[in-house]
Amino acid sequence: MQRRTLFGLAAATALPAPAFAQGSAARTLRVVPQANLTSLDPVWTTAVVTRNHAFLIYDQLCAQDAKGEIRPQMVEGWTTEADGLTWNFTLRQGLRFHDGEKVLAKDCVASIKRWARRDPFMQVLQPSVAEVEALDDRRFRFRLHKPVPLLTMALGQTQFPCFIMPERIASTDAFQQVREAVGSGPFRFLADEWNPGQRALWAKFDGYVPRQEPVDGLAGGRAPRLDRVEWTIIPDSATAANAMVTGEQDYWEYPLHDLLPLLRRNRELVVQQRLLDGTYGICRFNHLHPPFNNPGIRRAVAMAVDQRDYMRAVAGNERDGWEACEGVFTCGTALATEAGSDILKVRNIDRARAVLKDVGYAGEKVVLVAPGDYPQINALSMVTADLLTRLGMNLELVAADWGTLVQRRVSKEPVERGGWSIIHTTSSGQSLALPVFHLFLRANGSNAWFGWPEDAEIERLRQAWIEAPDAAGQKQVGDALNRRAMEVLPYIPLGFYWQPSAWRRNVTGVFRAPATVFWNLAKG
Amino acid sequence: MFAYIVRRVLATIPVMAIVALFVFSLLYIAPGDPAAVIAGDQATPQDVERIRESLGLDRPFLVRFGEWLFRILQGDMGVSIFTNLPVTTMIQQRIEPTLSLMVLTLCLAVSIAVPMGVVAAWKQGTWIDRAVMGFAVLGFSVPVFVVGYVLAYVFALELDWLPVQGYTAFSNGFFPWLENLILPAIALGGVYIALIARITRATMLEVLQQDYIRTARAKGAGQRSILFLHALKNAAVPIVTVIGIGVALLIGGAVVTESVFAIPGLGRLTVDAILRRDYPVIQGVILLFSFVYVLVNLAIDLLYTLFDPRIRY
Repeated sequence: MQRRTLFGLAAATALPAPAFAQGSAARTLRVVPQANLTSLDPVWTTAVVTRNHAFLIYDQLCAQDAKGEIRPQMVEGWTTEADGLTWNFTLRQGLRFHDGEKVLAKDCVASIKRWARRDPFMQVLQPSVAEVEALDDRRFRFRLHKPVPLLTMALGQTQFPCFIMPERIASTDAFQQVREAVGSGPFRFLADEWNPGQRALWAKFDGYVPRQEPVDGLAGGRAPRLDRVEWTIIPDSATAANAMVTGEQDYWEYPLHDLLPLLRRNRELVVQQRLLDGTYGICRFNHLHPPFNNPGIRRAVAMAVDQRDYMRAVAGNERDGWEACEGVFTCGTALATEAGSDILKVRNIDRARAVLKDVGYAGEKVVLVAPGDYPQINALSMVTADLLTRLGMNLELVAADWGTLVQRRVSKEPVERGGWSIIHTTSSGQSLALPVFHLFLRANGSNAWFGWPEDAEIERLRQAWIEAPDAAGQKQVGDALNRRAMEVLPYIPLGFYWQPSAWRRNVTGVFRAPATVFWNLAKG
Repeated sequence: MFAYIVRRVLATIPVMAIVALFVFSLLYIAPGDPAAVIAGDQATPQDVERIRESLGLDRPFLVRFGEWLFRILQGDMGVSIFTNLPVTTMIQQRIEPTLSLMVLTLCLAVSIAVPMGVVAAWKQGTWIDRAVMGFAVLGFSVPVFVVGYVLAYVFALELDWLPVQGYTAFSNGFFPWLENLILPAIALGGVYIALIARITRATMLEVLQQDYIRTARAKGAGQRSILFLHALKNAAVPIVTVIGIGVALLIGGAVVTESVFAIPGLGRLTVDAILRRDYPVIQGVILLFSFVYVLVNLAIDLLYTLFDPRIRY
């Protein structure tokens, strides 16, 4: 007996009218997002789920296409003058916010200024920026102290996108959360129906004027073809898989790798890679305290690392689910290189153990903090824990939740006073593609990312890359950076895995992009 | 009696104050920093510090506790650090699913477990007794999430009778509400049924040995009348006590059940808030749970007087 039959008779008398009409329900995409949407401000928090929400409701001045090129989005285009010291941008006609107000140049200026206070990429460029100012309703300009060829790359990046908000909202301090979610993107956020932890809803914005070009990555026409997008938070992966199988949900952003075979067996489901970039594993040392303040010990551990072990632990044995990438830059991008990466090709515990002895490891305690509630990072941590044990290191494995880890990693104290020795994290390929926003390659001591490596040569090369005159020069510096990173080892790259998504076969218009977005998708 | 109720209600005030202090202190000393969670991987330590300042997390313990207590006394539980929504709004959004789950589980459990316990006591030593006790052992032993997965597999995936997950508000109709809650209630009720059935059986066995039961039998009272009118009423005090204690069990179990069946209740709100260190939400929900527990105990104390007129306050 089917569910509808079982409840049919009762429903005939007892049920009120369904929430949506049949046609409307058919144009609602029911999505299981990768995490709970808890904050609506993409400047205030860097959470990916908030960024995905922001792509629904906000628009960008320019955006990344599938090849990684930056193309105009809200702007018709831009021009440069005075030897590259002035950049002029002109907004497209007819752009409106969800509250009905026109999108004006002053909104763009306010949004850029707020975003620039938090975006690490823009902070690098900021010393070269003299002023950002509105010229009239549709035009604004950047005045620069010196040429900044990467300006549109910063504005159009996907990692920490510059979303445009009304000036009254964008004037909020960058460290305070905005209180309204009003954008000019293809969907409007239904704040009254938002129940954090249960669901979040967006409705098609009828006033949106998409570009006429076909969709291409995040560039091109962002045409909303669905009436509503409804996110349902399902914290348990097995339950989410069941909901996909039974048709209660249409789209699952990040299915757990263990469950992919189950989903693939279902003929009603499509399981495919949608994101353009893989997710990279990172093993980070604390450079302030023994034993990993000794570069020889860091190198000994790197000699024992086999990226394939890490990736199998995260993404299983399916060979197309992961790849090794033995360099610091994203594989498949312009700077990708294995120059000087020989140390990652040793993959030998015995040799590593011998080197460890030679470089003076004296049994100092190693505290590895592993987040049990974060399956991928926990898997990376467990592989390192096993490796350190086999190397004969004095390991203390601390199981924690992510909230505890992110606090503990801030501590610069030695392990005896609540510090740490090794942590792991993951990063999107986009974040590792260029030195300018490669967080784990910074080696500026106390200002570097947690672990605080210090190496003047890495910092010098990074600056040299920013100032390199052309692609060939950038590539040369990139190779030198990789070589230096493999000597200093601010971190150990652990390979990357692909994160597929799953959707029901009646969902159409799905395309590959650097982020999960819902324009152009329809439901047949 | 009225004076007693007033006294008990007033007694909840110091209890709640101690709970408040305990909860606040516990969160203060627990590891974790919402600012670090908010800031994400891209943030510098200076950014994290700026966020901490903007959230007021850098102020001394006593100042924060004093402000929080002052607001609580005015009925203001504060605002979630992450969602920017008032904690009272978030609790209102979540209270119905949890309340529905607990009430349905309670009704289901009591209506199944008490007759089971009575019958087991009546048929002591027979296969019925052994079956009931076997079920009780099973109910205690199998974790809630395992029962949940098995039920979802059988009734949702294989038979397609019921949905896998979600919650439909009662205002949308009784049957859609029941459709979503019946599997979670059965999953959550397993332990509860086992507990009540065992206590009912044990208490009934004791009562059935009493002189007045023998007298009732001698006077020709029917078996049903003996069991349900004479014995069960006199066995009710410990059973009601266990039902009350079980409410705490339900609150704990609801966290797991809500996760397995994706029910947007207070249990999940609590877990999510703890994982993110959303202090105002954690404090609000725990205070609410404590208050409910105090009220349940008060209700049980009052019920004693109904079942046993010798008890007077």
